[in-house]
Amino acid sequence: MCASVKCNIRGPALIPRMKTKHRIYYITLFSIVLLGLIATGMFQFWPHSIESSNDWNVEKRSIRDVPVVRLPADSPIPERGDLSCRMHTCFDVYRCGFNPKNKIKVYIYALKKYVDDFGVSVSNTISREYNELLMAISDSDYYTDDINRACLFVPSIDVLNQNTLRIKETAQAMAQLSRWDRGTNHLLFNMLPGGPPDYNTALDVPRDRALLAGGGFSTWTYRQGYDVSIPVYSPLSAEVDLPEKGPGPRQYFLLSSQVGLHPEYREDLEALQVKHGESVLVLDKCTNLSEGVLSVRKRCHKHQVFDYPQVLQEATFCVVLRGARLGQAVLSDVLQAGCVPVVIADSYILPFSEVLDWKRASVVVPEEKMSDVYSILQSIPQRQIEEMQRQARWFWEAYFQSIKAIALATLQIINDRIYPYAAISYEEWNDPPAVKWGSVSNPLFLPLIPPQSQGFTAIVLTYDRVESLFRVITEVSKVPSLSKLLVVWNNQNKNPPEDSLWPKIRVPLKVVRTAENKLSNRFFPYDEIETEAVLAIDDDIIMLTSDELQFGYEVWREFPDRLVGYPGRLHLWDHEMNKWKYESEWTNEVSMVLTGAAFYHKYFNYLYTYKMPGDIKNWVDAHMNCEDIAMNFLVANVTGKAVIKVTPRKKFKCPECTAIDGLSLDQTHMVERSECINKFASVFGTMPLKVVEHRADPVLYKDDFPEKLKSFPNIGSL
Amino acid sequence: MQSWRRRKSLWLALSASWLLLVLLGGFSLLRLALPPRPRPGASQGWPRWLDAELLQSFSQPGELPEDAVSPPQAPHGGSCNWESCFDTSKCRGDGLKVFVYPAVGTISETHRRILASIEGSRFYTFSPAGACLLLLLSLDAQTGECSSMPLQWNRGRNHLVLRLHPAPCPRTFQLGQAMVAEASPTVDSFRPGFDVALPFLPEAHPLRGGAPGQLRQHSPQPGVALLALEEERGGWRTADTGSSACPWDGRCEQDPGPGQTQRQETLPNATFCLISGHRPEAASRFLQALQAGCIPVLLSPRWELPFSEVIDWTKAAIVADERLPLQVLAALQEMSPARVLALRQQTQFLWDAYFSSVEKVIHTTLEVIQDRIFGTSAHPSLLWNSPPGALLALSTFSTSPQDFPFYYLQQGSRPEGRFSALIWVGPPGQPPLKLIQAVAGSQHCAQILVLWSNERPLPSRWPETAVPLTVIDGHRKVSDRFYPYSTIRTDAILSLDARSSLSTSEVDFAFLVWQSFPERMVGFLTSSHFWDEAHGGWGYTAERTNEFSMVLTTAAFYHRYYHTLFTHSLPKALRTLADEAPTCVDVLMNFIVAAVTKLPPIKAPGGPGPRPKPPAPAPDCINQIAAAFGHMPLLSSRLRLDPVLFKDPVSVQRKKYRSLEKP
Repeated sequence: MCASVKCNIRGPALIPRMKTKHRIYYITLFSIVLLGLIATGMFQFWPHSIESSNDWNVEKRSIRDVPVVRLPADSPIPERGDLSCRMHTCFDVYRCGFNPKNKIKVYIYALKKYVDDFGVSVSNTISREYNELLMAISDSDYYTDDINRACLFVPSIDVLNQNTLRIKETAQAMAQLSRWDRGTNHLLFNMLPGGPPDYNTALDVPRDRALLAGGGFSTWTYRQGYDVSIPVYSPLSAEVDLPEKGPGPRQYFLLSSQVGLHPEYREDLEALQVKHGESVLVLDKCTNLSEGVLSVRKRCHKHQVFDYPQVLQEATFCVVLRGARLGQAVLSDVLQAGCVPVVIADSYILPFSEVLDWKRASVVVPEEKMSDVYSILQSIPQRQIEEMQRQARWFWEAYFQSIKAIALATLQIINDRIYPYAAISYEEWNDPPAVKWGSVSNPLFLPLIPPQSQGFTAIVLTYDRVESLFRVITEVSKVPSLSKLLVVWNNQNKNPPEDSLWPKIRVPLKVVRTAENKLSNRFFPYDEIETEAVLAIDDDIIMLTSDELQFGYEVWREFPDRLVGYPGRLHLWDHEMNKWKYESEWTNEVSMVLTGAAFYHKYFNYLYTYKMPGDIKNWVDAHMNCEDIAMNFLVANVTGKAVIKVTPRKKFKCPECTAIDGLSLDQTHMVERSECINKFASVFGTMPLKVVEHRADPVLYKDDFPEKLKSFPNIGSL
Repeated sequence: MQSWRRRKSLWLALSASWLLLVLLGGFSLLRLALPPRPRPGASQGWPRWLDAELLQSFSQPGELPEDAVSPPQAPHGGSCNWESCFDTSKCRGDGLKVFVYPAVGTISETHRRILASIEGSRFYTFSPAGACLLLLLSLDAQTGECSSMPLQWNRGRNHLVLRLHPAPCPRTFQLGQAMVAEASPTVDSFRPGFDVALPFLPEAHPLRGGAPGQLRQHSPQPGVALLALEEERGGWRTADTGSSACPWDGRCEQDPGPGQTQRQETLPNATFCLISGHRPEAASRFLQALQAGCIPVLLSPRWELPFSEVIDWTKAAIVADERLPLQVLAALQEMSPARVLALRQQTQFLWDAYFSSVEKVIHTTLEVIQDRIFGTSAHPSLLWNSPPGALLALSTFSTSPQDFPFYYLQQGSRPEGRFSALIWVGPPGQPPLKLIQAVAGSQHCAQILVLWSNERPLPSRWPETAVPLTVIDGHRKVSDRFYPYSTIRTDAILSLDARSSLSTSEVDFAFLVWQSFPERMVGFLTSSHFWDEAHGGWGYTAERTNEFSMVLTTAAFYHRYYHTLFTHSLPKALRTLADEAPTCVDVLMNFIVAAVTKLPPIKAPGGPGPRPKPPAPAPDCINQIAAAFGHMPLLSSRLRLDPVLFKDPVSVQRKKYRSLEKP
């Protein structure tokens, strides 16, 4: 690049001596070359965004073209699965140490067709579902094509259905995978394990240490914390669109839709039908369907024909009985229909049971209690049933709906085992979105009254009112429980007074200088704050007595998760303007306290500084107003609780009482504050503030009782 | 000539530039122009097969030979699971009934007290025939005595062998189908869903009550050590994790660094406590960490975590792989304050709810088994894993968390806006007409229940009220007052004594306050407990003081759940005590609510002006109850909740509750 620039610099020196005709010609030529060079250079160093799009790389090939691999009859066979395998014994976690984002990397072996010595293929090359599954992994964040950086390996040998493969040869094919290493860190997906006559509950292909994501595990084959129990995918899910049906009573109380049940079970079910009549419906396959009708999509009871799976939506509970295998695809259909599955399959490990709480979506009944199933179900309160119906549908939507959902949930479970500190919580796995939205999880959920001895840290935000500040410091320092005083000096143009000029007080006094005059500096989680309780106080709040402040602290101890403050305010809905309004009059209700004088937990400082939703923080700093309203919104939103106003109303020196000379200024201020409320309510997407009609006073406040015996006598006097 | 040469050099320069352009740009242009060829290192992805549409499904309908179902499998020999080895048919009716084998020969004091504690619990039954679970205590680690095969053994069916300490006893008989509850079972021998994993209790673990959690504040103190490591001799050592070297590895020992302090402490003072997962003995450290509020970091534990069937340990501890120490350390250092805060609080809740005493551990074990029997009416996970925990949130009351007063916020629900007044009419038995009128006048009152509990006949006439009035003929027992009557249809109960006097606006205001604190008791008259140095016991006073710890139930709002808790969870002995010394019942109710909420009650303004001095309870009552609870749950409050404008210098017209201000 540099060289080319130089030659261009020399260029113009030559040009004047040439003929004009040529000159234009050469200048044009040079400019073209120069532009070309710049463009190329830029292209070299520009991030190549075009390249990463999938279309450029994905191959368009036919499955018939996959390479064929011949397996000699004597090639090695892996050992049978080791039942004692656990993550810390059989899984090589060192391979997963590369990933900084707490995400495992998954490699997929290229697809090959395996044949034996006689050229007979070992299995179907790949099923539609397994192709989908590998595609889903490949499209996910887990995927890597770098075999050296992979933590988990997924063979492209399709073992979803054991019946479609030759066991020994499939195992041999596994063993010759390039990183097989006794199956360490290999993940196999199998939905239909076992074969006649005794149908093992886990894949029979010898697989040594490989992890098995299997449908239909029993307690005896499932290696807890190592294998993953997955659903048996129902291809009907993709074919039939069953719109969600709201919970509530349905036509049938109990329904059985499975075909090919063991005669013993069918007898039991029919006995139930005889006993309970109309509310129980036992379906079977249809014998006399006309030509061209898909028998999979029809069920019959006597001569009545029902559409399947639509009929499932007509029942509250649906039986999911074990067949030859424990895992049944009907479970997926039942969940899709929002029917509560009644699982009758002893020792069956329900899909994703490591993370899903099946108690919330299903009823598990021991086989020997099958005859009691009706009374067991009837004892469940209606509200719980509706909860289960919703939960069933949600499980289907999140984890059963598609092969992709199944694959990603499986990988997430394994990921959570390897990076447990970044694992997804019970609530994230199990709570339907509606519940996640409606609930409040208070960050300070442990009921705990902090010891009085800890005291509180007073934080005074100040700009230049030194005289008033010193008075506040002197007053606050009289409060017995004060343990430290922090002055936040928000003035960058002026230095704080010299050390010798500050009032001498009995607790440490620290001055923090800020880089910018911002209101949010008041709520910064300074390292200097060593107590849990923080008293935010303005530099002009001189009217609070020591008794009042001490009492405020005592109240905070009883409500450490709330804002405990002195002047209270209210938000109101203005029906005329159709928006929120700020109210500072003498009302019977409170929903906010001003942080010109308020106690709160220092954790809220952290939340205010780092977790404030939307642009509220910047908005507050830009408008130099409403930081207190923002704090009230934040705390109410995260805890779901109201503020506590302490002690009677006083004439406060507060924004709405000081900065005003005339009524008009006052009104401007109120309009601004109202605007804040409307702005914040829209950012939060809700109105989190809670209105209450109480305030906290000392037990004996204004009681007919000797004043000198009261703990906080000096309260409320102006 | 000259011009030609000049032109030649110009051409040269030009062609040189062109060459450079081609060299630099050509490659990139090529890359753009040509279709990409598979290269090692380029992201390939799974191919989109041209003929993917033609692929067959993995399961062809009709292909499955489901008709050929083999008969139900017999349980695998030797191994047990819940369905195959436990007979729930014996557990019909009122849930889990437990029979405990009486001790044979001389037994230790601990053993005797544990037996007594189970016998006093609500699970206990006298007859082995009526029991659904037979409990075999195998406790005496110190005496070394081993239990022998009990009489009703029946191959261990429906038996639970409870081993609080790892038994030195060899197994003297085949466990057969018995469940085993033992401390820190190894992962390999543990049968999930059948056995119960217990915590590893130290020998001196308190039988009842137990020490509270050590956490005094929610968030970690600034400057507290990040990590504490277990020491050989049973102490803890805090480690400085500022250096990148792994602190728990022997390799780092050579460079202790200036920040590394060596300290011996019984309870660790750090944010995280690192516990090795190999030896089950390390599990005792696990409990220490839990009590101290030090988040346990378990390195590849080979033992099952206690009560893992019901407790979600991911909320209180971190199970990490010991083979990735640096990643674990980095993850701990980077953990968000929000997560640390949540984990710390959860350790304290779990410690206090399930582990702090032997009694709690045993009750939790029985509750776990009862949940298995209950099936759909078992505790939902939320009840186990958020305060106050499954021992105090009875699933017999409801299986929906939103029915309990403590989960309203979590569930996004709220209590109903109405209450039921329950008026107890004891001797002498005057119908409280004035009180009924005052209460019925409240806009929030849904119904009035009169509990007639005296020898006089029921009056035939009752005043006309706007709300339904029901009279219940009580059993003349004081504990009747807290029976969960099915006629109570609201969440809130206003418990009243016929002699109480309240005004309508006092009732209205107090009910509004209760709606903000539905898990607490909101009352008018208060009393306090105090530690009496002179007598070395707890004292009780109803004098007016600057603080209080109890509200009198003769006029108090609370959630109807506490009736269920009072009637169904208290040991019988305590309810008898309340019946014998009626003034104790207040104390007892306050104890229950405080034990559940861990918070003081709330005082609202009002109650009779010149109050009739409530008779002080029998002095020993509070001590007997405290002994039964094993600790003192009561907490003091120094505040009263008044209306916002209470006695403020503002026009009375502005005030909503002006009648409350009358002297």
